[in-house]
Amino acid sequence: MALIEVSHLTKRWRKDRLALDDVSFEVRQGEILGLLGHNGAGKSTILGITLGMVRPDGGEVRISGHSVQTNRADALRQIGAIYEAAHFYDYLSGLQNLRVLCSLSGWWDEAEVKRVLKLVNLDKRADHKTKTYSHGMRQRLALAQALLPRPKCLLLDEPTDGLDPEGIREFRELVLKLRAEYGMTILVNSHLLAEVEQMCDRCVILKQGRKMYEGIVPSQQRKQTVFQLQTRDMVKARELIRSTGATIDPVTNLVDLPPHIVGHEMLRQIVEAGVRVDSWQAHKPTLEEFYLGMTGA
Amino acid sequence: MILFFHQWQSELLKLFARRRTYIGFVAFLALELVIWLLFEFLNGEKRLAWLIARQGQAFEQYDSALTLAFIIIGLSVLLLGAIYLALVAGDIVAKENEDGHYRLLLVRPISRVRLLFIKYLSCTCYTILLIQFIVWTSFLLGLILKGWGGGFFVAILDPPILEFYPWGEGLERFFVSTVLISFSMTIVSSIAFFFSCLPMKPAAATIGALSYFLIDRIVRETGFMDNYDQFLLTKHISTWALALKTTIPWPVIARSFTVIAAVNASLFILGAAFFQARDLKS
Repeated sequence: MALIEVSHLTKRWRKDRLALDDVSFEVRQGEILGLLGHNGAGKSTILGITLGMVRPDGGEVRISGHSVQTNRADALRQIGAIYEAAHFYDYLSGLQNLRVLCSLSGWWDEAEVKRVLKLVNLDKRADHKTKTYSHGMRQRLALAQALLPRPKCLLLDEPTDGLDPEGIREFRELVLKLRAEYGMTILVNSHLLAEVEQMCDRCVILKQGRKMYEGIVPSQQRKQTVFQLQTRDMVKARELIRSTGATIDPVTNLVDLPPHIVGHEMLRQIVEAGVRVDSWQAHKPTLEEFYLGMTGA
Repeated sequence: MILFFHQWQSELLKLFARRRTYIGFVAFLALELVIWLLFEFLNGEKRLAWLIARQGQAFEQYDSALTLAFIIIGLSVLLLGAIYLALVAGDIVAKENEDGHYRLLLVRPISRVRLLFIKYLSCTCYTILLIQFIVWTSFLLGLILKGWGGGFFVAILDPPILEFYPWGEGLERFFVSTVLISFSMTIVSSIAFFFSCLPMKPAAATIGALSYFLIDRIVRETGFMDNYDQFLLTKHISTWALALKTTIPWPVIARSFTVIAAVNASLFILGAAFFQARDLKS
């Protein structure tokens, strides 16, 4: 079931620059979806529209069935978000910042706030002014505010931007924990491919405001369809492979199988045809390879 | 309603938790002392004595806490009041946008209009509080220097008023007029607030508001719009002083304050409409 439905979004900035061109996708309940694209591809614009910060020229976003464009308050009640860089009131403490933000949701529960602060490992610094916080601590506070009051879905816009490797790992583990423990649905916008690869179930790839791909993160695909063949009888092997409906790349010798043939079956046919096979290895494309291929970069 | 008060409380927490908010109070306190010192050292008392004597009254009778406080308030509000109020109100929406706070605030299920209304209300409260602070500290300074009692001498150029009151009635007139001045100054913060809602820097909003008042004042002073001066805001702002006339023209005051309230409401609605239509993205 889709928790967020993005339908036919179109947005033009000034001077008729097309930021989004009929983009549609959905975020299913309980999944982590990565929104990928180069700078200016339209990722933040989609999040901005989803949060009602940016008005689309066409299309709409629905959260749990509520349209953000016509019923923003009900739609946003379902989500917590980190949108672009989180700028807190640096003259207020972490706790006071949370109090100010939660008042806008009409909610305050001291015990729940303490629990979330502990979850993000900020419980000991909650009474300190945020101007004394490191970048990592600010990001964790940003995550804390997004988790209050407990939302069904999290929208994270470049959440690990500017964090050190340790901070990135901590953040990633925290996000995975949220999904595992609370079944939270998460939409992550990032240009860090490794981050998306390690965190997300599915991804949407954007290029210049257009959707290029929506589906499972390639490296996580269970069914193996691409294999690397090494043989000295390549001419014979190619003929046989093509006759089965599979394709083989003449340069890399990567065999892409059709849906009705599995890897070991194809290998058996090649061997039975008398081809001496030196090596037959499953080839898992990385997200980077896939992304670069998709965006033509 | 309870939710609204919680949200307003949070806005006030933001406003009064920052040090910058108090700079105004300290600056005005310092200005009041400077005005008093200048008054002492630049023969202010002699000039005042001369002015009172010309009306056939005894200077000693009207050299009081009320007269001194009124002089200090008049000069403080005239010199710094508009500038400082425009500065704070110009900041209230535009600075939060510049600092990126809306990216945290508006991902919450609160409408932009409601958020702006809370800000406008805080801004108006701040205006009234600041003017009342000037009133009470000036009066306190007057009491320390001149003591309790005496008369109240009023001399204003715009509108032209020259009056003498005994202490009791003077106290009454003093506080009525200063309450009115607090409300009339809300129009300064409303104009700055309106500019602040447009996509511009906080300083530009402040300058925009001050420029408007400067032009309004110049147009009024030149007499170019003598027959249409009801369209000039500075005319309505100065109506507070009418509470110091022997016979208070309440209908005139009521009309001006209705205009002020209507302009305030219109500026808020216009500002909110512009803010509502904006895309908030860096």
